[in-house]
Amino acid sequence: MPRVLSIALLAALMLVAGSVAAQVEDPWPDQGADEGDEDPWAEESGDEWAEEWDDSWEDQGGGIVVTGFTELAAGMRADSDGPVDRRMTLGDARLRAEAEWIGDALEANAVGDVWYDAVTSDFEVEVRDLTVAFSPTEDIDVTAGRQVLTWGTGDLVFLNDLFPKDFVSFFAGRDDEYLKAPSDTVRVGFYNDLANVDLAWTPRYQPDEYLNGARFSFFSPRAGQVVAPDPPVGAVEPSRYELALRLYRTVRGVEYAAYGYHGYFKQPTAVDADGRLTFAPLTSLGASVRLPLWSGLFNAEFAWYDSRDDEDGDDPAVPNSQVRLLAGFERELMANFTAGFQYYVEYTRDHDALIANSPAPQFEPEEYRQVLTNRLTYRIDQDRWTLSLFTFLSPSDEDFYLRPSVTFRQSDEWQFTTGGNWFGGRDDHTFFGQLEDNSNFYVRIRYNY
Amino acid sequence: MTDLKTKPIRLAAMSAAMSAAMPAAMLAALLALPPLAAAQSTPDVDTIVEKANLAAYYAGDDGRSEVRMIIYDEQGREQRRQFTILRRDIEDGGDQEFLVVFSRPSDVRGTTFLVKKHVGSDDDRWLYLPGLDLVKRISAGDKRTSFVGAHYFYEDVSGRSPEEDEHEFVEETEDYYVLRHVPKDPGMVEFEDYTTWIDKETWLPMRIEYRNAAGETYRTIEAGAVETIEGFPTVTKSRVEDKSLGGYTLMQFRFIDYDIGLPADIFTERSLRRPPREWLERTEGGS
Repeated sequence: MPRVLSIALLAALMLVAGSVAAQVEDPWPDQGADEGDEDPWAEESGDEWAEEWDDSWEDQGGGIVVTGFTELAAGMRADSDGPVDRRMTLGDARLRAEAEWIGDALEANAVGDVWYDAVTSDFEVEVRDLTVAFSPTEDIDVTAGRQVLTWGTGDLVFLNDLFPKDFVSFFAGRDDEYLKAPSDTVRVGFYNDLANVDLAWTPRYQPDEYLNGARFSFFSPRAGQVVAPDPPVGAVEPSRYELALRLYRTVRGVEYAAYGYHGYFKQPTAVDADGRLTFAPLTSLGASVRLPLWSGLFNAEFAWYDSRDDEDGDDPAVPNSQVRLLAGFERELMANFTAGFQYYVEYTRDHDALIANSPAPQFEPEEYRQVLTNRLTYRIDQDRWTLSLFTFLSPSDEDFYLRPSVTFRQSDEWQFTTGGNWFGGRDDHTFFGQLEDNSNFYVRIRYNY
Repeated sequence: MTDLKTKPIRLAAMSAAMSAAMPAAMLAALLALPPLAAAQSTPDVDTIVEKANLAAYYAGDDGRSEVRMIIYDEQGREQRRQFTILRRDIEDGGDQEFLVVFSRPSDVRGTTFLVKKHVGSDDDRWLYLPGLDLVKRISAGDKRTSFVGAHYFYEDVSGRSPEEDEHEFVEETEDYYVLRHVPKDPGMVEFEDYTTWIDKETWLPMRIEYRNAAGETYRTIEAGAVETIEGFPTVTKSRVEDKSLGGYTLMQFRFIDYDIGLPADIFTERSLRRPPREWLERTEGGS
């Protein structure tokens, strides 16, 4: 099968490239530690150090530094009964390269991936970061170009973070970092004693990577069932700008922030005049606080989503305005074992008007959609092993999403991860319930160079 | 503990050895002055603790250093970390700020770590993960968990506040004051008590032994080398072994510079995203 062959080829290439790079660049050559020697201080010279640190300290000032990784990832659907024919949910042979250049007045950064995707049978290229950063005055930082942006206090729950997300990668079991999709943005930070300001201007709106049926099925209210359209769904994207703003300040360990956003909903939840899926205009305002409490961390955040094209909530083609609230607490319960809990609620405004005008009221969201989350992280063997379980549970939708994973960092170079994405629920139309047929498990092998 | 006594690696022992090689000078000193030990009565415990704390963690008003660690697990497999650390004292013996910028290995490159150490209350700590552009706050409870996979704890890097322990004097040897420290809140720590050997000349703790409830020493931190940098005796090599975890970690400090005038505003979220290059670069005066 040509697909298998090309994956194998690319994988071989990547591993060769990785090991060559490692040979060339490893700035800390292995000096061959005395494995049996329990106590280096018992050595007569007492200076194990000279041996261990034989290599020179790399000069840190200026120049280009190139690093990255190669990765093989494979995942498959737990159940073959769903509407997507393909059993495979993840099949990446990936090469990552990162380069950084630091000059006197300017810094440049580049991060890019090339990979063969066995699910779509395509070679893919993604530039995740291509930026220049500079400070026109002492109190201003500018970062311009393709970049990943994050703010807000939620853990895998986003209220005021309206930067693009890649839920396809997230659900497929790619590394967590791929949940955040890059955008072409100019970010400007103004720093002062009153409140720092972050402004992110994206000249051309960038939506989320949404489920389109190619890899994962989803619920279609029009069809009244879970579908996986072929060809995949494409929504009409606005070509206008989006603007995100954050004001923030930390006072005696308490982090306060206020947020604003002007752009569009990130998911294609609206229908245009021609009956095509699209993204409704959105303006949002919000605030958050994060502080230490009871030897742990407490966070709270709210956002008010103003659906500009549906102020009264009676247009079934446009999502209603919402108020979103989040409260969370995290603490270490015992050494290396941390637990985090969040309560999240989405209040849909004018819910009566929504139901009254909806062609399919039985599929509309609850007026109060509530979600509880729990993150358990256990690190053992000096962080070599990380056991993690993230749970989403919605009492109002009666659905859930479990994300177990185990990561083994065998060395600074090799890393192994396995995990799953398990969705379920009573109904087919709820947020996680619609994904039930997409439940999957995956493995990843990464080599850092 | 015997290792240290027999191994003259410290400046104090070295100067003693030099004196032994010059009996005439020593004789003169003996005639002119009463014996040193008799003249210097042993300082009280609180004074020793305070001076040791200042010597170990508060040299100068601020400082920079490059640090690298080799982490060995019980099978001898190694991992490495390299980072630059900036420190600023708000008050000697009091609150401090730290900024740690990782350069190696490649998967932690660009990760930064900000600590606001508070004496008498919990520290504030933030970690920046560049891949996600995420500023993650770390809860205060886990001070005694591994610092980036090493056998060192977060608390070993920024310093355990003397107020958290009861201190008692054990003995005075030729070179050291030996103190035992018992935690006021045993529920917050994994040890029963710990003993420190504090160099009488530099006030640096040269060895720390942690005991468990069974009275066994399971964790040891040793200073492997001390250099005087800009007048401040500084531990430049250190080793920690933890039998409960297996394996050990070596840590080395280089390119150290004190009193470089670090401004307060670099210890902020801004620096997590964009580390202050001008302060991270090696300085002319550093060693």
